[in-house]
Amino acid sequence: MAQQTRHVSYRLDWAPIWSNRDLLVDGFLTTIALSASALMLALVIGVMVGSAGATRARGILRTSSAAYVELMRNIPLLVHLYFWYVALAFLRLPPFMCAVFGLALYSGAYIAEVVRSGIGAVPQGQRLAALAIGLTPRQALLFVVYPQAFRIITPSLASICSQLIKDSSLASVIAVAELTYQASAIEGQTFRTFEVYITISLLYLLLVSAVSWGLLLVPGARDVVGRIPSDA
Amino acid sequence: MPDVIIKNLPFLLAGLRLTAEISVLSIIGGSALGVAIGIVRHVRVPALAQLFDVYVEFVRGTPLLVVLFICYFGFPALFGYQTSAYSAAILGIILFIAAYLAEDIRSGLRSVRGSLVQAALALGLTRAQVICFVVIPIALRNVIPTLFNQYVRLFKFTSVASVIGVNELTGSAMLINAREFAPFSIIAFLALTYLVFCFAISSLGRLIYSRLAIRT
Repeated sequence: MAQQTRHVSYRLDWAPIWSNRDLLVDGFLTTIALSASALMLALVIGVMVGSAGATRARGILRTSSAAYVELMRNIPLLVHLYFWYVALAFLRLPPFMCAVFGLALYSGAYIAEVVRSGIGAVPQGQRLAALAIGLTPRQALLFVVYPQAFRIITPSLASICSQLIKDSSLASVIAVAELTYQASAIEGQTFRTFEVYITISLLYLLLVSAVSWGLLLVPGARDVVGRIPSDA
Repeated sequence: MPDVIIKNLPFLLAGLRLTAEISVLSIIGGSALGVAIGIVRHVRVPALAQLFDVYVEFVRGTPLLVVLFICYFGFPALFGYQTSAYSAAILGIILFIAAYLAEDIRSGLRSVRGSLVQAALALGLTRAQVICFVVIPIALRNVIPTLFNQYVRLFKFTSVASVIGVNELTGSAMLINAREFAPFSIIAFLALTYLVFCFAISSLGRLIYSRLAIRT
């Protein structure tokens, strides 16, 4: 009985968190660096694979794009990370690079799906009009279709991006010193379990909210659908 | 199949069973909690709705790994109880996925047309009856595809439970790798197994939806 009351009277003590703030800041910055690099690479993959998937003709491009998306999306991120870190260990990539590649290939598949549907949502007439006024197919894609598609998919991109930031916590498993990793380290030293994890949850929440609000500030991201002539 | 896999197949299958158990229990628990939270937030039950708003925002901004750490290390320390990695993983995944499911279900509830609600009210149903017999059935049938997307996500997310020491599929595969060191075939097997099961779950979702979708 005495032991039980001692357990129940867990007293919150935030001082050890504050005294280890440099570790948390360090982890927070690593998380940002990791997410940003992975996002850049994922965007490149996503735009390429998504554009290949949006081609009209049924062919090798569309099939391989769909195969990539299904293959990458249906394998857990942790397995992706282990693939780069354990199976390809002979390459001796630093853990940070393994995490970037794993995250980028995984999130790239989600971005590809969104890009594909975004390109599909731009009315066909837009492209035809661009071709009619003398743009080359590549210019039509670059200057007419992509800008409109990008605005349509901004909200989905924001949610994939916040997903990616949260997923980056798994990089702690392969020893990347990001936020979750540092939190475990602080927890191991101070035993302030609950306080540490609540603190980093709030930090993740902060980062995720900042990113989604930031992306929604893209000019015209909210109401672009209404401005495209629907019957074009 | 490579020898490593065949030799360790019973161990891997035990891991797969654990993965399946965690998934099924979390799908059931998470869906129940998700529906409850979604309805409470939709009809704006005072106080409870605000509480769940904060809950959903908080969980949706937090990585699953951190939720699992809180359930495995944080809550037991705070409330003074003993737990196993297995039950902490199930609790964590339920709490995590319920927030996402609640949001999907709420958007389903909102998409039910107002004219249907008015028609039901005009027929003399009470507000509670309208919610129970008109809004919820239509909303649930409409959100089946989104729900199954979340179930596929959940199935993949069970791999994270290996980090807190649950020997489910990923955990047991990595244990075998530590003993045998054949990372390539073991991870390929792992990826393939998850791939097959994720396909199975999404095909099941499509099948159920094709039977239950509301056609107009």
